[in-house]
Amino acid sequence: MKKLLRLDWVMLLAMIGLVAIGVVFIRSAGAARETAALHAAWRSHAYTAVFGLALYFTLAAIDYRKILEWAAWPCFVVAVVLLAAVLGMGDKVYGGRRWLWFFQPSEVAKLATIMVAAQLFGKADSRTDFKGFLVAMGILIVPTALILAEPDLGTALVLVPTVLTMLGAARVWLKGLATILLAALIAAGALLGAVAAAEHEPNRAQREAIFAKIPLRAHQVRRLRVFLNPDLDPNGSGWNLRQAKLSIGSGSIYGKGLGKGDQKLLGYLPPSVSMNDFIFAVVAEEAGFRGSIITLGLFLAMLLSALRVGAVCGDDRGSLLVAGIATLVFCHVYVNVAMSIGLMPITGLPLPFISAGKTFLVVLMAAFGLVQSVAIHRTVQPLDHQTI
Amino acid sequence: MRTSPMFMLFLGAAFTLGLAVIAAELWRLQVVDVADFKENQRKQHTRSILIPGMRGRILDRSGRVLADSRPSRVIICRPESFPRRGGVSNIAATVDAELDRLSAVLKLPRSKGLTHARIVRHLRESSALPIYAWRDLDDEALARFAERAEEFPGFDEAVRCERIYPFGSLAAHVVGYVGHDRPEHDADAPSAHYWEPELKGRSGLEARYDAYLAGATGERHVLVDARGFKPRYDGIENDEVPVRPPANGLDLTLTIDAPLQHALERQLRGVAGAGVVMDPRTGAVLAMASSPAFNPNEFIPVLTEEKYRSLADDPLHPLLNRAIAGTYAPGSTFKPITAIAALDAGADPDAPYDCRGAFSLGALRLHCWDRYGHGELALHRAIRESCNTYFCNLGRMVGTNAIVRTAREFGLGAKTGIDLGAEAPGVVPDAEWKLAHGGAPWYPGDTCQMAIGQGMLLVTPLQMAVACSALANGGAVFTPYLRARDAGLPPPKPVRRIHAQAQDIERVRIGMRAVAEEGTGKRVLFRYGENRERFRLNTTCAAKTGTAEVGVGEAKRKNAWVIAFAPYDKPTTAVALVVERGESGGLTAGPRVHAILASRFGEETP
Repeated sequence: MKKLLRLDWVMLLAMIGLVAIGVVFIRSAGAARETAALHAAWRSHAYTAVFGLALYFTLAAIDYRKILEWAAWPCFVVAVVLLAAVLGMGDKVYGGRRWLWFFQPSEVAKLATIMVAAQLFGKADSRTDFKGFLVAMGILIVPTALILAEPDLGTALVLVPTVLTMLGAARVWLKGLATILLAALIAAGALLGAVAAAEHEPNRAQREAIFAKIPLRAHQVRRLRVFLNPDLDPNGSGWNLRQAKLSIGSGSIYGKGLGKGDQKLLGYLPPSVSMNDFIFAVVAEEAGFRGSIITLGLFLAMLLSALRVGAVCGDDRGSLLVAGIATLVFCHVYVNVAMSIGLMPITGLPLPFISAGKTFLVVLMAAFGLVQSVAIHRTVQPLDHQTI
Repeated sequence: MRTSPMFMLFLGAAFTLGLAVIAAELWRLQVVDVADFKENQRKQHTRSILIPGMRGRILDRSGRVLADSRPSRVIICRPESFPRRGGVSNIAATVDAELDRLSAVLKLPRSKGLTHARIVRHLRESSALPIYAWRDLDDEALARFAERAEEFPGFDEAVRCERIYPFGSLAAHVVGYVGHDRPEHDADAPSAHYWEPELKGRSGLEARYDAYLAGATGERHVLVDARGFKPRYDGIENDEVPVRPPANGLDLTLTIDAPLQHALERQLRGVAGAGVVMDPRTGAVLAMASSPAFNPNEFIPVLTEEKYRSLADDPLHPLLNRAIAGTYAPGSTFKPITAIAALDAGADPDAPYDCRGAFSLGALRLHCWDRYGHGELALHRAIRESCNTYFCNLGRMVGTNAIVRTAREFGLGAKTGIDLGAEAPGVVPDAEWKLAHGGAPWYPGDTCQMAIGQGMLLVTPLQMAVACSALANGGAVFTPYLRARDAGLPPPKPVRRIHAQAQDIERVRIGMRAVAEEGTGKRVLFRYGENRERFRLNTTCAAKTGTAEVGVGEAKRKNAWVIAFAPYDKPTTAVALVVERGESGGLTAGPRVHAILASRFGEETP
């Protein structure tokens, strides 16, 4: 029990704060729904958080090295099997197979991949050359391919930079890594450039032909087009973005008051997304700029505390684990909020701790339980006298 | 150790930068541009609805109500009250089923127009507005609804404005009728999304003075959700905001005198024809009727396609206002005009002419109605006996142009300009007109025909009433009007005066008095009882009969005319009446005009 006193309190309180924001705004978003079950979605978020908190403290109390040794690979294998299973027998929701009964294997796979990568590259004898990189890619490609097959581009898009960041932290084939990063940026730029160029093609048939050649799914091309030109199709594919921006923008500094967001109440912000991928719009509408900043501030406090833990833990595996988890959460937060305000193309990604989604919440809390474990079981002591 | 604290610092800086970019963008959206977003958002969920004002009444000259607005109790259906699972057709099916259920409770059949397709259209286009499910409910049906209203949460009782014509078909062609339409809206106001149907004039004065009667359209805003329904979630307040209230329309007072109108219509009952009674001193139309007529109440709340078809396909055309749009040959009622044209051209009214029963002009042979001939006569007797040969000769002597000019002076051949739509101009033919319309040149026979009001000459009963008024008042041609002049305004001025000398007009007037007293128009002044006893009008009067032959062969028929004015010295009443397929002017139209004048002046007891 004495160990628990060494945990990082800022990180814990920030997390509880974010979960509380989640409960409050899931309740607000669910109140506008006709289905009675959704009125109670906030309760299940809270119950899940209680369960998650138990898991959090359990994992925090156990030495993360042991967890990685015993559980990293088994978790990974189970996650891959579940991912394969979801493709075969999952429930189809909104055009993707992501659900296996009550949970989403892709969320588990994210953490499992991070754990395996930390385990592999955190050892003193792990390879840091091109071969090491190939091994990492081999590990990354299996869950990524399965997730892409669901299809769930968003999850794949955050998993890849997470693993790449970990490789960077572990200094695996740095030169190649930099090249890949550059190539990825160029590819993304080229893709956007191609869409933008095609948009200028006056002939409709030719334009459609160019869009068809872009190596993305039709709805993804549409999202890129809407990103470049938000007024393209305000009643169709541009609807969610337009309504999210109207929700956020009309929130002003202090917001419209809890439960009083008319964008949400009147169903302009579609009820199907208001408690999931677009919950930030509800927060920003009802709590205003003040609420948005508090939310972002809690995330930043949490991430910076985690990074501090990673910096001072004095163990490669711990640092890698923290770097991976922090990057994963940052990618989620950044992509989710940025797409709500039109800074990024629409990608279906939940906002950590706040969006309704039991699997993701449990996985996140487990992940930060691991970070707390790193904080508690760090080798250099005392933490307070250490400077980074 | 390979991982360095510096990398964590780098990551921390990157995360902070990323979130700072987002925070900056949020600042722009939520603080800098907040007004734009608020306005766009308000626009998005606000729909404006136009609400009509209450339509003004139409009154006769003494304030009798010819058209009224009455409250009609209706049951409305609020689409937002139903579960919104699935698409529009799903909701429409629920509404459909509820309508059926309520129909059984009310013991009223469902409105025929309210089909499934119609409901779907309503939900697609104006789901924020209620659906009018039943109109004009009686107390019994309302009681049945009130008893079980709790079982029908989507339905409500409401009141809406409906038109009623208390006298039914009285002056139907003049008053006109209404339909439902979009309210008028200021051009400079922002366009509205929805409208409550407004009563809109479709014909007659209802159409002519629609803007006056309709009042000012009001507007209110309602909040709608993403599907266009009114919201029904808790937490939404003020879902209706009145922007400006509607203003009620004004009452329109007419020159029509309802009792006289009634007398006129009674005389047209059962025949096709039309009549106009005018005040020759002002041009005010005291009565105007066309037969057969229609009952505008039958067009309320809607003129069904079926009903409209049956009226439109009726061979007697009940929707046609014959008084202003029916064109007829005036027959002998035109002769006073020929006479004035001749006198104005210098013809000698006392020059004798020998009527031998027919007038020959080359191959043309025109018969006088007295086939044995009237013998030797001059203008006065020619008018009194309506001698065709005399007027043929007279017309030939003065020529076409003089007659045409005088006829046009009297207002024939052009719209009178009455404040009622759909007026026919009629035809006063000349050589040019004939060439343009038939291609044939003008023959001397055409002049003869015109002199006796036959041939290509076409007039409306209203035009004859205007001409008769001009004869009555000594040559002043007025524009006829139906809307009473506001109190305090000076009396209307004539649009022109007849060129002829007053004494020439007086000579013709004297002739017309003789027509009524002892000529072809005796039945205008006198009513003959069963024992040949005579009932005289309690006034003096002058008249001219006309029997216009139209058509040839089997289709040959006679339209019976009378124009008359009374009292002779200071005329206050001028009448023009035509009865289609009559026997003769004197026999068919004469007694009818007598009855109309009798309703105004009474009869002397013998």
